[in-house]
Formats: sequence, structure tokens, C-alpha cells
Amino acid sequence: MREVAIVGAGMTPFAEHFSLGIKDLLPMAFAECAASVDKGLDVADIQAAWFGELSTTDGFPAGILADTCGLLEVPVTHVENACATGNDAVRNAVMGIASGFYDVVLVMGADKVRESASKDTFWEWAGMTRDMAWDYPLGLVAPANFALHVARYLHESPATREHMAMVAVKNHHHAVSNPKAQLRFDITVDQVLNAPVVVEPFGLYDCTPQSDGAAALLLAAADVADRYTNRPVRIRGVGLGLDRVMHQHKRDMTTFPATVRAAKAAFGMAGLTPADVDVAEVHDCFTGVEMISYEDLGFCSRFEAYKLVEAGATSVGGSLPVNPSGGLKAKGHPPGATGVAQCVELFEQLRGSAANQVDGARIGLAHNVGGPTAVSAVTLLEGPAAVG
Amino acid sequence: MTHVAAIATYLPCWGSARGRVAGGDEDAVTLAVEAGRAAIDAATGGGSAGGGEAGPGGVQRVVLVSRELPLLEGGNAAVLLAGLGLDPEIEVSERLGGAPAALDALTSARPRTLVIAADVQPCAGAAAALVAGSGLQVVPAARLARSLPVRTRSAAGEVHDYGDPRLLRERGALASLASLAGDGADKPLAFAGVDARQAAAVCAGQPPALPTTGASSALFALAALAESRSSGPLFAAEQATVSGVRVVDGAALVRRVEPAARPVPASTFTPGKEIPVSLAAYERAFSAKVRFEAGRQASTGELDFPPRYRVGQDGTLHTDYTLVPLPRTGTVYTGVTVRVPVPGLPTPYSLVIVELDDVGVRVLAGVTGASPGTVQIGDRGRMVLRRVAVRSGVPDYGYAFCPEQPEEATL
Repeated sequence: MREVAIVGAGMTPFAEHFSLGIKDLLPMAFAECAASVDKGLDVADIQAAWFGELSTTDGFPAGILADTCGLLEVPVTHVENACATGNDAVRNAVMGIASGFYDVVLVMGADKVRESASKDTFWEWAGMTRDMAWDYPLGLVAPANFALHVARYLHESPATREHMAMVAVKNHHHAVSNPKAQLRFDITVDQVLNAPVVVEPFGLYDCTPQSDGAAALLLAAADVADRYTNRPVRIRGVGLGLDRVMHQHKRDMTTFPATVRAAKAAFGMAGLTPADVDVAEVHDCFTGVEMISYEDLGFCSRFEAYKLVEAGATSVGGSLPVNPSGGLKAKGHPPGATGVAQCVELFEQLRGSAANQVDGARIGLAHNVGGPTAVSAVTLLEGPAAVG
Repeated sequence: MTHVAAIATYLPCWGSARGRVAGGDEDAVTLAVEAGRAAIDAATGGGSAGGGEAGPGGVQRVVLVSRELPLLEGGNAAVLLAGLGLDPEIEVSERLGGAPAALDALTSARPRTLVIAADVQPCAGAAAALVAGSGLQVVPAARLARSLPVRTRSAAGEVHDYGDPRLLRERGALASLASLAGDGADKPLAFAGVDARQAAAVCAGQPPALPTTGASSALFALAALAESRSSGPLFAAEQATVSGVRVVDGAALVRRVEPAARPVPASTFTPGKEIPVSLAAYERAFSAKVRFEAGRQASTGELDFPPRYRVGQDGTLHTDYTLVPLPRTGTVYTGVTVRVPVPGLPTPYSLVIVELDDVGVRVLAGVTGASPGTVQIGDRGRMVLRRVAVRSGVPDYGYAFCPEQPEEATL
């Protein structure tokens, strides 16, 4: 199996891009990715592409990527795996190179959540993820899916709504210096706790915004990476995990077994442990989900996530900064783009050029969980300092 | 002569002493199921246990009397039978009618008939009587159909009110009653279908207070007479049409499911596009969803809810499950309250995952019979049939969690 590296990365800002369609966002992200390639990119070098998109805004995703990015001569595969789509697109592309099939491939992710009226979003997105006869009619909207987990988590663990609020405050603060982030303003714990309730126990500031955006990664076989850069970021591990789809079938809702499975696969492939991770982009669509994920990813023991939050360990400057980009919470969450954009952030972090740089970061972890909570993808990256 | 073995009544918990209000998840069918199940339980001494050999309570026919049948096309029989836990081969008559029609249905019923009457407007309630070979004896006494359409409702639901209450009072039920009762006839013990003051004016003594003036009021009145072991005439009116029966002798078991009235919780409805429905998915799920049954795998005995195919470790497809009733009591494992506006649904609403007693099966359900936000992890309650949504015109029935001891809102 050949080693794979990221040699270029770019993304559009995450925002409510009312004036830009998916056909605009894709070439924008692609061009920024191409521009980031240290030694330049000839688009004709790209041999295949994988495109993560949940919705099908403006139709057939693979065709739209090929058409808008000028990649009509290469195979393009659409990847859809709920909110784990982005990192699963990375995983599929890695397999394309690791197998020896290709040397240079493109991974993109994009979505336009704000393409439909905000009042229709709940039902449209619930329709993509819920059982039509059983769950859907109950009004199991996206925040409720995760709130069912977090309500039980708060019941069993010492964590409180205040700890969740501290996660929101942290991620908002991280986003302030990130020009690609959607919510670039500081908030306080009181603001979070006193915000209008969306779905208990989530207030408005516990929730990700609705976002549009696109992100792109250029992957190359490690043995050809030096054509593009002297400072590649190696993809050390990828993992995908699944779980029962209906919440009533999940025996312990204080954990996401999909994440545990994805992390086990990724760490196993990399030969690394959670203690090796220097910086992480963790799926924080809702604040409590970031806390549960600390435990599922092995960053702390079960029901001890609150200790990391209290100690500030996961803030930039702490021992394990999580979501220096602002995370889904403040950077934004166009689902297909989210995981790819996490890797864009880590590409910059591990090369020392991030907007909100974590000093000396060598190993980075990207994590998605979705479906809701029935699929997870984890990607482990290693910066060039260790390679060199 | 009709023998009534058991009578049960049901009132929604919402409303006031002036009258009950059906919950947003209730309609004539769910109200009827509540009353009907209670009557069967009363007759069998059971507690909503589900099916027996000849159908619970030996019921062989069901008559539903209401002016508010949800599905005027296609009918409500399948949902009614499923909710009652009765065999789908049982004959169901859906009768459009008010209080006199409910009495007529009772006196014309053969043994083993469950007669249910349900009302949604203006006050909600339902009552059911199980007709058997022995029990409280009821004989028909009088019947008079007269027309005085002071209030009309078209097939499209358009209502016209003539607007002359005194005309109705003078020339409506009272005139009919006067022409039926000859000189020296007994005064009625109860008069259903009219307001309390009118009833008091014509009845002997203090007639029972009745929570509705619709079809169910006749059976609420019968329940009251059964409880007080009274014999005598019982009349029921709708506009100018009147039916009368005489309660003769014997006893009926009476069960009342009448929780204390509480104010309807504040709720906001956000309009939006219609919630789509897949009738293919509806039809596949129907039996398990509306009968509250799990699939029991033939090979392992494991329960799946919803029922499903399984694939064994050797790749063999297992489709041979049988549907078995699930217990209807359980404990909240986790729960949330949706407060953000959701188009097409009244908000706020609570959703819970309930661990059913003793079977290792959990269900996701909405909360009914309690203010949103009041149900906590660990609370106990029962699963009840409700209209969980109306999707593109289709009433979607399923089970909701009704807490044992609803608390007032804490948030």
C-alpha cells in the first residue's frame, strides 16, 4: 500500500453565500487549492476526483464537479455518507492512490444549505436521514437527533450546560481570527446559557449555523509528492465507522459507537494513539457533541470531557487544541464540505501557516459524526516536520 | 332487550370544567380507541394487555358513532380495530350521528358489539359500551326524527349557524320530548345532547352532568345511571331528533378515564409546506405501528421494533418473524423538547425514547397528556394511540408516551 500525502488545500469562506451557487463555489475552492500547491499544479495531472455532497443542489453532483472544474477527462465519483461525507471522500481518494491506481487525485466537498428557505430546511434535511414511516413524522429535526444523546449524557456524566457553553465560547473565540469562518465574534457563557432554546438542552449558541461553502484537497502518492511540494502532509490513517440508524436501537446514547469504530480503524492504520494527537478538528455541530467525541476519540476517559473543558486543554494554547478553525460551531457547516475543510485547516496547521496556529503541531485528527449519529469518519494527518 | 356488560368513558386532560379540548394529536378515532380499550379492559378485568383468543372481550362487532369521522373516504375501520387490538376481520359500522344515534346503536346492537361514541367539537370526549349476553338491561322506549337544521355542516366542512337559540329550545328537543312522553309518563333521569340547564328543566331530580352534547353524551349518561344503579328513562337529542331508552335492571362495570382538566399549553403553529407522506411506507408499517407490535424472530426469539428482516452471520436471510404485542408501559430513557418553530407542527413539543417494561425494546415517541418540557428521564408512563401527524392530508397514527403523573411546566 502506497503512502498518500496532501500537497494542496483550499476552501471558500463558509457563509450564507446567497450570491454564489454550487457551480461558483466549486471552482473557487478548486482554484484556491491549486494556488496553494507550492510548485504549481497542471490540472491535467489530476487523474480522478471524489466529490462529497449531501444535497444535490442544481443536480447531479459528479457531473457538476467535472463540468465546473474542467475535469471532463477523468472519472469523478460522488460520495454521500451523511455528515461524515467529507472525511469519507478523503478516505475513498486515499484508497485510489494507496492501491496504485492513481498518483494524483482531487477531493472536494461542498453543500449549499442556504439554497432553500430556512423554514423548509428542517424537513428537507430530516427527509434525507430519517425513517419515513417511523421517525420522520414525529418532527425529529436535526438538533433533536443530537439532543436525545446529549440529554442522556448530561444525565449520566458530571458535565453541565455550562460546560457545553464553554465549548461554544472556545470555538467562537477560535473563529475570530479565521477569515474563512462564518461566525467571527466572541460570545460569553452567559450569552450561551441565556440564548433562546432551540431543542433542550441546546440554546441557539450551542448549534452550528446553516452554511454554504466548498473545500478542496489535492492528494498525491508520497513518492511523487515532491513534484508539488517539499512539505507534504501525510495521511497516516483513515477510518469509517457505522452504527444502528434509529435512536431507539442505540443501547448507550452517551457515546457514538460509530466514532469509536472510525477512530479505532484510523489509529490502527496509522500506528498512533490518541495521546499522539497535537491538534484536532472535531465534529461540533452541537456543543455537547464535541464533548462526547473527546471521549469516543480517546482524548479522555468516559464522562471526563468536562475536565478538559474546565482546564482549557482544548483551547489554542492548551495541551490538545480542538477546533482552532472555530469548528462547525463557528466556522460553519456545509455538510459535504465540512470534513474536507477540516483537512484544509489541518494541512495549514501542520505546515505552520494556519490563521490560528497551534505551536509545533505534528499530528492532526479530523472527525465527523452524522447520519444522525450512525456514521463517523476519522482522518489522521502528519505534518512535514516529522517527515523531513 | 340489550345487555350492557361494561361502559367506559374517556376525556382528554386538556380544558376546564366548562369542557374538554382534544389534544392536537387526538381525533375521533383516537378518542374512540381510548374509550373502547377501557371498556374492553373493564369487561375483561385487564389492563390493556392486547389480544385474546376470540378478540379482547369477545368483541365481534364495533359501531362508531360520531359526527367527526376523520376519513370520510377510505374509512377509519382499520385504525380503529388496530388501536383496539381487535382482529381486522371484525365488522365495523361507522355511523354519522349524534346522541340519539348513539342510543339507537346501543339498542339495535347484538351481543358482543362494542358501541363507541366520540366527539371532538365543541367539547371532546368519548364513551363506549360493551353489549353482551347479560348486564345492565336497556330497552328502546321512543324515537322521533324531526328536522330543525339550526346548524348545518356541508361535506366540505362549511358550517352555517341559523342563530336562533330560542327557536331551537322551544321547537327542538323539548317539543320532540313533549310529543313523545304522554301524560303521566316518567320524567327522564337523564337527557343527553342538550345543555345542562335544559336537561335539568325536564328531568326528574338532578340529571347527571355530561361533558359533551354530542354522540358520546348518551353513553356518558348511561354510565352515570349505571354507577348510581338507577332505573328509568334516558333520552338523547340532536337538534329536534330524539331517541329514548329505558334502563331496566342489572349492572354494568363502569370505568372512567377522566384525568383532571388542565389548561391547554401555549403552542405556536408555524405554517409551511405540507409534510410529505409515503403511503407505501405507511402501508408497510401499519400493523406494527398502529397495533404496537414487534417482530419476533422465529430462530432467536429476539424482538425487533419496527419489525425487520435480518441477515445471519452465514449470510442467510431471515424473514420469518411473527408480530407480537409490545408492553404498553415503560420508562423514559432520554428526552428532549423542541422549542424552535418547525413548520407544519405545533411547537413546543417533547420527544422521548421509552424503555418498554421487561422486553429490552425502546421506542421513540412524542409526548402526550403533559405540557411540553415536563417529562424527565426516569419518568414512567404508558403508550397510547395518537394521531402523530397529518401528512399531506393523511392522518398518521402511532403511539405516544403519556406520563403517569404529569407535572406542571418547569421551563
